[in-house]
Amino acid sequence: MRLSIEELERRMDDLRADMRRAAAAGHSDLVRDLRVELRGLEGEWDKALAGLARERPARTAGPSGPTPAASLLPLREQVHHALTLLTVPAAPRLIVAVHQAFFGASIPNARLTSLRRDEEKSFRSAPFARPYYLCPALTADRLAPSRGLLSVSTWPLVDRLVGPLSPRVHFLVSAIKIAEAIERAPEYVPEAVRLLARFAANIPGGGDGREPGTVASAARAELVIHEETDRIAREKAAKRTQRLTDVQRLFGVRLEAVSLVEDAG
Amino acid sequence: MTDVEERLRRIRGGGEGKRHNARTISALTSNPGCTRRAVADLAGVDKLALSRHVGFPGQFGQSPFAITRGQQFEAQVKADGCAELITLLREHLMLSLPEVSYEDLNDVGGNTDNRLRHLETRNKLGRRDEPGTLFDHPMLTLDVAGRQVFLEPDLIAFQVKGKFHIVEIKSFAVIDGQADGAKVAAAAIQSAVYVLALRDLVTAQGMSPDDVSHNVILVTPKDFSNRPMVTFVDVRKQLTVLRRQLSRLTRVEELLDLVPDGLSLSLDNDPHDVTFDLGSIEARYMPQCLNTCELARFCRHEAQGSTYAMGRTVTEELGGVQTVTDVLDLARGVLPPTPEQAEAAALLRLAWSIRRESLGNAA
Repeated sequence: MRLSIEELERRMDDLRADMRRAAAAGHSDLVRDLRVELRGLEGEWDKALAGLARERPARTAGPSGPTPAASLLPLREQVHHALTLLTVPAAPRLIVAVHQAFFGASIPNARLTSLRRDEEKSFRSAPFARPYYLCPALTADRLAPSRGLLSVSTWPLVDRLVGPLSPRVHFLVSAIKIAEAIERAPEYVPEAVRLLARFAANIPGGGDGREPGTVASAARAELVIHEETDRIAREKAAKRTQRLTDVQRLFGVRLEAVSLVEDAG
Repeated sequence: MTDVEERLRRIRGGGEGKRHNARTISALTSNPGCTRRAVADLAGVDKLALSRHVGFPGQFGQSPFAITRGQQFEAQVKADGCAELITLLREHLMLSLPEVSYEDLNDVGGNTDNRLRHLETRNKLGRRDEPGTLFDHPMLTLDVAGRQVFLEPDLIAFQVKGKFHIVEIKSFAVIDGQADGAKVAAAAIQSAVYVLALRDLVTAQGMSPDDVSHNVILVTPKDFSNRPMVTFVDVRKQLTVLRRQLSRLTRVEELLDLVPDGLSLSLDNDPHDVTFDLGSIEARYMPQCLNTCELARFCRHEAQGSTYAMGRTVTEELGGVQTVTDVLDLARGVLPPTPEQAEAAALLRLAWSIRRESLGNAA
């Protein structure tokens, strides 16, 4: 995908702002990574500018920048792509695997850890400045950020909640979505099939994963059992979220510095 | 602060103490007669640093590679809502399809305070209207020598048909149905600690201790692959041992009576003084200690020349004979045996004569 020069400029501005924030917070690793990304964009921008100057119909110029190893897109967009495919909150491991399988580019796992913090910082400094934020899924019982599950802020809140049955529901829905994506794909994607095989092995009647249709229907069969109970639990929890602030609704309620709870033993 | 706590603080040399965990408890029960270890553990002494301080530096514990491997395997088994574990449990325990609920007890709303997590564990496990199925990292407590110890088990407690099971995920391989005996034994005694703690918890919630199964579910890699497999380990024997040893672990006050007043194992003191103080607490070294106790090298050095340093079998054969010099003297017939040494002495003299006949004076 080739970005227009305006889009590139906007991205570069975003990146610079992110770098400033990261530097202020002392995340030197993140600054370095972002700088690499920025240099890539600047190179792209130079090329786009040269294209504009040379001739007006520059659109015919072939793709020049992105290599398959690392995507040109900002990290958050890559994560957004993977989550949009899955449609349910997912752990970084799965996000990395899905992105690798379907979008071909690898996401450095280490950077995902700082992503969540950066998103929250960005939201706190300028609420709703971005079209979406990557935020943790929330636990249904305490509306606290769940450990390691990422979701997208634009999803309905009830879909971002995690009840006791949700991990299994997420697993089955992910399997269905991955199977569907494989069926949609114009060509055979070996990495995606391998990913699906891992799912298939743990779904009753899922087969060996070579038949996306079989996996999807097996997953749907089991999903029917859990879906209803899970949804009721999450909807019940969602009712309690109305009193939350915007930050809490996106990034969860933290239970910090508790005055020692009386032991009710 | 009570007197006992003050004394333990002095022994430790100030600062926060190290906590007991399932490993230290199972180690404690493997050598319950060792006052030195009991005192050091109760006071929360950093035994590894202490061992270094008195001149016995050395590696102890799992290698970082083994720990990483263990964590990776655990993460794999628990990935995607415990997908692999659920498959195994469905296969081996006839877990029905709707039973997949998963409660993460690693933190309470982002807070990892032990007491809070313990409360949360009690609430979630004790719930009867919607009994859960899988509980990740519950926080249990156990009474050890009069003090409450938090156990942060590396496992999942699992409930099926009203009965709880302990699931222990270990990364040592079971090859063709066989595993390293020592590792299985260590896993069994550790799991027994958790079973005991979980029984305490359910009893406090008004349930029967029999609601916790004595069959522990051991999840290990199968053969040379990364695929998990399930083995059932009956820990009834370990439970009996553990219960007996824990009750024998004398209460804190009685233990402290065995220790001279003013004793301190503080790392700020001169190593000579610490060595002297350490020596004044009675120890019982056995070769197995090398696997389970950070102070083992110090104790081995100290125990040189005594018969019990050679292990349990030798000690039992030579009942009543304390030192190697005595053993040799008894064998040569230089030392008249006391009545309780008579049996061992006869055996030793026989061995000595056989040796002389076969080797002459060659050795």
